[in-house]
Amino acid sequence: MAVLLIRLKFTLLGHSPTGMRLFGTALAVLGLGITWYFALAAGSDAVRADLLSLAFAVWAATWMLGPTVANGTGVLRSQYFALLPLDRRRLGAILLLTMFFDIGPALTLVALAALAWHALAVDPAALLVAVPGVLLLWVFVVSLSRLVFRALGAAMHSRLGMEIASVQWGLILAGLFFGWMAVQPAFTATLDLSENGLGDGAVGAVLSALPTSWPVLAVQAAAAGSWGAASAWIGALALLTGALVAVTAVLLAPRVGARGVRRRGRPLGAHPPTARGPRFPLLPDTPLGAVVGKELRQWWRDPWRGLELRASLWAALFIGLLTWSSGTFSFFAPFTGVIAAFIMALSTSNMYGHDGTALWLSVVGQGRDTVRADVRGRQVAILLLIVPGAALLSAAFVVATGSPWAWPYVVTGMAVFFGVGSGLALLLSVVALSPGVDPQLRVDANDSGDNQVQVWIALVALPLLSAPAVLAAVFLGLAGLPWAAAPVGVLNGALAAWWLGRVAYRRLEARLPEAFARIRYGKEVALRTVPANGSLLDRLERTAIEGNAETRPTGS
Amino acid sequence: MSDDVPALELDGLTKTFNETRAADGVSLSVPRGAMLGLVGPNGAGKTTSLSMAVGLLRPDSGTARVLGADVWADPVSAKRLLGVLPDGLALPERLTGGELLDYWGRLRGLERGVVRARAEELLRVLELDGAEADSVLVAEYSTGMRKKIGLATALLHAPKVLVLDEPYEAVDPVSARVLTAILRRFTDGGGTVVVSSHVMALVEQLTDRVAVIARGRVLADGSLADVRGTDATLEDTFVRLVGAREVGKGELAWLSS
Repeated sequence: MAVLLIRLKFTLLGHSPTGMRLFGTALAVLGLGITWYFALAAGSDAVRADLLSLAFAVWAATWMLGPTVANGTGVLRSQYFALLPLDRRRLGAILLLTMFFDIGPALTLVALAALAWHALAVDPAALLVAVPGVLLLWVFVVSLSRLVFRALGAAMHSRLGMEIASVQWGLILAGLFFGWMAVQPAFTATLDLSENGLGDGAVGAVLSALPTSWPVLAVQAAAAGSWGAASAWIGALALLTGALVAVTAVLLAPRVGARGVRRRGRPLGAHPPTARGPRFPLLPDTPLGAVVGKELRQWWRDPWRGLELRASLWAALFIGLLTWSSGTFSFFAPFTGVIAAFIMALSTSNMYGHDGTALWLSVVGQGRDTVRADVRGRQVAILLLIVPGAALLSAAFVVATGSPWAWPYVVTGMAVFFGVGSGLALLLSVVALSPGVDPQLRVDANDSGDNQVQVWIALVALPLLSAPAVLAAVFLGLAGLPWAAAPVGVLNGALAAWWLGRVAYRRLEARLPEAFARIRYGKEVALRTVPANGSLLDRLERTAIEGNAETRPTGS
Repeated sequence: MSDDVPALELDGLTKTFNETRAADGVSLSVPRGAMLGLVGPNGAGKTTSLSMAVGLLRPDSGTARVLGADVWADPVSAKRLLGVLPDGLALPERLTGGELLDYWGRLRGLERGVVRARAEELLRVLELDGAEADSVLVAEYSTGMRKKIGLATALLHAPKVLVLDEPYEAVDPVSARVLTAILRRFTDGGGTVVVSSHVMALVEQLTDRVAVIARGRVLADGSLADVRGTDATLEDTFVRLVGAREVGKGELAWLSS
């Protein structure tokens, strides 16, 4: 059975695009090189032990975050096998087993084997604990990766789980943006890392407590002759790994419950049907009003959308706290609202991919003004949802850090980034549309479509398009007139939102069936609809079709 | 508009996917007030042809017209006259059925009061009102309920031509009767219906016209009696046209062991 599934996995991989896998492999090769460099170049045995502990911790962290950040769906989805007459737990265990058969885990094993080299160097007898230590650590790291990935997916089935996933994701984003602030002092202090190791500081103490360091500690103990301590470390790692494998196997077993968020009570924003409806309808009785209403409800209720919305606010909060507590960078804390705008633009840049084949409604319902209403309505809904929270965050940090000087800059920054962001997000949603698993079939947290191309483009385009307002803020600020930049920010933002939105809906209007074909029929068919040497938008579309991973598994 | 303009006209629709010709010059003409059953084996090109007819898939060549309005040259006019139920696609999953109809009606420019009254009636007739009272989201609907809410979206703006892909699939027998009654009322009022299906008996009982499609080509098209000719049932005709593989005596013997 296991052999069969492993072969199935390689067959499926053979049919999948390779871009992301190549990148992952390159990353693993690089990590392998660094790990072995540490092992070979270390100045002393103690330093080598320190460095290996550090390297192993980084391996574990990369394995935890990698699959989630990489936006790939699992190759073997447990639902494929739900109908097999197999014990669900056993199936989960087999699925976990298949995870170990791939290039990534193989490279990881070779990297972890640096510990055996370390054992040879300190005392060949220590190989007795080093070899089982390496194997256990390998199982631990790969299982941990699957556990985190599936736990995020399972979290999408409850409101609280979604919130926890949002906090987690917010922390990851905050780490990606500003994690260097925390690491940087540690690095400057230990530039001579390969000479002195980590020393006895806090970093070293925390590191040695991590399970990834236990096999290193076991080797050290064995080399020192205390075999009791050595076997204790290995035993502890074995116990922990066993528990981890058991939990992961359960999580990997196919879910048999109902799909979607299980909820008690009415979904947010729903009212029981009445003959007359609300007496004072808030939204205008137009296509635009209809789209805004639909979008607000979907944002409130869809856990996949909720994750993106809430994670951007959580990330902004964490970045605010991080910068505030750093001292050196606390001047940045009031700009958390601007950061929220930035992240929101990145995470909403694949909205049509997110909606999947539901685009058919826009195609068959196309009226004179409906596509424009759809694009504009989405822009409005995003802003209605995120601006209040972001403004509140920024205001709180301005007050908390006692920086009233920041007000004009925050207002300018938020106006321009929200404007440019909402326009850019919709333009990318249209041009770089990348479907994921169709909404009614979603299971995992990153089933909603790959958006790496959009993110990279937005990272460049967002600052570029906001440059007039940013430059105005800098120069008018230097001239002592910071408030004069605010109207520039508003104008820059409004113009960009209007113009980019207009380009977006005109493009969508002209290529509505092609957009649907991209979702319904996939990459190959979509590529034929885009001219190879067309306009800038055509080239952008080709880049996105070719660059984003195709995630179209079927099954429920 | 003169009376002899067909309600729906497929004119040489052709589409090739990755070297496979999914539709090869599909031409059909459906007169007004008719109910046409489009039948064919799996992968025959039914959905591909219907997708091109309603504007969901751009044909490599050929076009489609709804009461004379060209779907590809004048999509807005054609789509106003069309009601469409595709098979197996997503919907705005996090809306309730009522909210979906409310959104859909207002997007199509209907007045709020009209939308509310029609939506309420459609939900009641299709027996989705109970789910609506509990605010059940479309994501939580069963397959049959999804078909029914899809049908409601197709009907809401009172179109002239209905194109329904596998409307009876997964629908329970009681709801199927309701669906048949709705379609009959629609054609009695001068509307035109095209349904695709694998189920010959259903098509035979429901429709007055039938078209058989296989390997991307229309093999037969006309009134039920004409297409059936001397065959006893439509299924016999279908098998004669499409060809059938008989299960030989020795094959799959292990199933009865």
